Amino acid sequence: MTSITLSNVCLDYPLYGAYDFSIKRRLMNRLLGEADGAHAVRAIDQVSLDIRSGARIGLFGPNGSGKSTLLRLIAGVYPATSGRIEVRGRVMPLLGLSAGANLDLVATDNISLLLRIGGRRPTPAIIDDIWAFTELEDRMRRLPLRTFSSGMLMRVLFATATAFPADILLLDEWLSVVDERFSAKAERRLLELVDGAAIVMLASHDQELLRRVCNRIVPLDRGRIVGAEGGGETDRSARKLEEICA
Amino acid sequence: MDAAPASSRRFSVLHVFKVFYPDLFGGTLTVIRDICAGLAHAVASSVLVCSDAPRPRHEIVNGIPVERVRSLGNLFSLPIAPTYPFRLWRRIAAYDLVALHAPFPLADLVFACGLGRARPLVVHWHADIVSHGRLRWLVEPLMRRTLQRAEAIIVSDAALATRTALLRDVANKCHVVPFGVDLRKFAALENSERPGSAGRRVVACGRLVPYKGFDVLIRAAADHDFEVRIIGEGRERAHLQQLIDGFGIADRVRLLGSLCDDEMVAEIGAADVFVMPSVTNAETFGLVQLEAMAAGRPIVNTALDTGVPRVARDGREAVTVPPGDAVALAGAINALLADPARRRRMGDAARQRAATHFATAAFDQGIERIYRRAVAAHAAAHRASEQGVGLLDSVRIAAALAWSDLRHRYVRSLLGPFWMSIQMAIMVAVLGSVISHFGPAGGLSRLPMLALSLTAWTFLNGVVLDATTALQASASLIKDRALPPVVFLLQCCFRQGLFALHNAYVPLALWLAIDPMDVGGVFAALPGVLLFIAFTFAASLVLGALATRFRDLKPIIESCLTLAFLASPVIWSPEMIDRGSFIMRVNPLTHLFAIWREPLATGQVPMSSVLYVVMSLSVLVVASLVTLSRLRKAAFWI
Repeated sequence: MTSITLSNVCLDYPLYGAYDFSIKRRLMNRLLGEADGAHAVRAIDQVSLDIRSGARIGLFGPNGSGKSTLLRLIAGVYPATSGRIEVRGRVMPLLGLSAGANLDLVATDNISLLLRIGGRRPTPAIIDDIWAFTELEDRMRRLPLRTFSSGMLMRVLFATATAFPADILLLDEWLSVVDERFSAKAERRLLELVDGAAIVMLASHDQELLRRVCNRIVPLDRGRIVGAEGGGETDRSARKLEEICA
Repeated sequence: MDAAPASSRRFSVLHVFKVFYPDLFGGTLTVIRDICAGLAHAVASSVLVCSDAPRPRHEIVNGIPVERVRSLGNLFSLPIAPTYPFRLWRRIAAYDLVALHAPFPLADLVFACGLGRARPLVVHWHADIVSHGRLRWLVEPLMRRTLQRAEAIIVSDAALATRTALLRDVANKCHVVPFGVDLRKFAALENSERPGSAGRRVVACGRLVPYKGFDVLIRAAADHDFEVRIIGEGRERAHLQQLIDGFGIADRVRLLGSLCDDEMVAEIGAADVFVMPSVTNAETFGLVQLEAMAAGRPIVNTALDTGVPRVARDGREAVTVPPGDAVALAGAINALLADPARRRRMGDAARQRAATHFATAAFDQGIERIYRRAVAAHAAAHRASEQGVGLLDSVRIAAALAWSDLRHRYVRSLLGPFWMSIQMAIMVAVLGSVISHFGPAGGLSRLPMLALSLTAWTFLNGVVLDATTALQASASLIKDRALPPVVFLLQCCFRQGLFALHNAYVPLALWLAIDPMDVGGVFAALPGVLLFIAFTFAASLVLGALATRFRDLKPIIESCLTLAFLASPVIWSPEMIDRGSFIMRVNPLTHLFAIWREPLATGQVPMSSVLYVVMSLSVLVVASLVTLSRLRKAAFWI
């Protein structure tokens, strides 16, 4: 059974300024008795969520509200400062499309590499299918990605990233980057993907998109879950929201 | 293959059945074809079947890739294809899901033996085995095991799930998805005039096999004056024709044989009454009666224990009679033929029901959802315990990344893989000629060792230097794909290892050409080489992490490496330097090189150096473990 349980999770994100990366500076501060300059900002504040399989969660909020950070916490990129995170099922984080692409290599090599990064064995049939989805000309398979326009590049990356179903799918705002004509197709595929995954979490500030794709919307602001009824016990407000949005 | 515009890699499904077009036409095949066509946007379907006709092994039929296994004939309606189970077993791994169209005991053999567990199985339960009851005891255990192993079982009607003994134990896995009918196929008939009141035409359709009950229909026609047309082909044809001739009604009862889709639509459209005279529960649904309903024709069907009388219901869309009862059948047909108003009413109701209850879209969606859930459930069950990226996965991904790096290095390179070797050869030549002026004679014989040392140094230097920038360079993979940072430090090691293998051509060639050493020395040097690699990796782990956290460390490490190159016996051979030098003695690199160079040169393992290296390595391992625990925070640093 796939599930995600967050209880009172907090994340203090250490802010390294321009000089905080210097060991010399750090040693100097020590010697001079100054306070260690590691400031932190609370990126996620007391978030509790209980997500069962079948849920399609939309994280909604303005820039810097902690949407991506929350997804990364669940993906295990950041360790939580306090609270408990329990994730059951195989997580497929797709937070950035271009991660791992090498622009100097030809398109098919990139597809193989990206599949391997995702833990899949690329076979010619799979690559053919991915290529068919991009609707690009066949001869472009042998061209380096460097020569692709940004729209074409996005097609290749999107098709590769979404080629396989997963238990838990974490998506950051990236549907909007695909060009107009392709976006309808991309969204359809995303919906299919959503259908195949037990749990989907999608961060976006496009409320329309979230409404179409998700069955529960969690509004975030400054790292907190803000419910319509606001404040109170976050756990209960989250459950209320589920009822409202179901 | 025709490129379907919306074709996308969602998942691939292997349909397993005994036979496929054009060897046979019939309900089950229509269902398989409809699934393949209806789900084409989400599923890449293939079919594995048997055939006793001389057909190509691989073929595309209606856009579906079909693989056929040679069959020697049929025995109890089952193909004799001894290699089928083996072939099926070999194919399963290539697909994301296997869809078994039951009953098909030949395939049950594979699943019942527990083979193919790596993939989810969905069983389309088309019918129970009815005709060869005597052999049930043989195949029933197999079928039971297959059903138990299946992720989901799809039936066309709830009656099947509750009334089939085999399905009762697995009722929780049964899903009812009624077949769909494409109304567009019959849209042209909607406005066409019904045949006038003179119409006395009865149409039936199906394979000419005993359970279809066409003999009952022929007997019913014997004493009445309606016309009968039977569409379909099969092994009963001769027998049925004999029956028709025996009654002397060949002028109004005709066997039409197989028809193409258009002809069939026209025939059904020309019917006044459509008859489904099936006599056993092998008829589970009656897809063709659904087509007749879509064509707006009144139905006469039989009161079987299956979906047949529930698809077209008695008194609303159909008149239902007891199976095998020719008199009742004739009565029902005659009553309908005599009452055009009732025919029209029933026909309209039938079309209405087909449109509302048996739409193709609902069928496609239902099947797709079950397939998808089966894939997800199977995957979840197989990986429930495992979470995140395991150690083996890390190594695999690191290796794939390193391999891609290697290829990247040759992009736009004129010489391809060997420009690195040439570079190394030039370096060895230049340095060798310089060094030969330093020490005593024998400059040429020192070249292989010099080349080998340079290769090793290039490896160590490369790994450590790469490690200092590896995490920053792969920030997006760490933050967006949640790959563990250690993958990228491993990647440095693998990548430089691959480069070193290329460089190793130079020392190897020199060794073979100039001074073939004792091969025994190679084995003695092997543990030393492994220690060297372990040391290098551990050092790169610690330094890589530190240099990522504290950016000012990178230039320091760089200059230290340059210094170390000069202060270590890399280009200097052991006899060229003063062993008493303090720096040489405490420098771990001296010993790190000695532990494999000396066995190679002399066959002797320098135990003191080994001890020194093991000690410094254990310190490094402790540091590496601390680093690994801290690496969880690496995402904050980049």
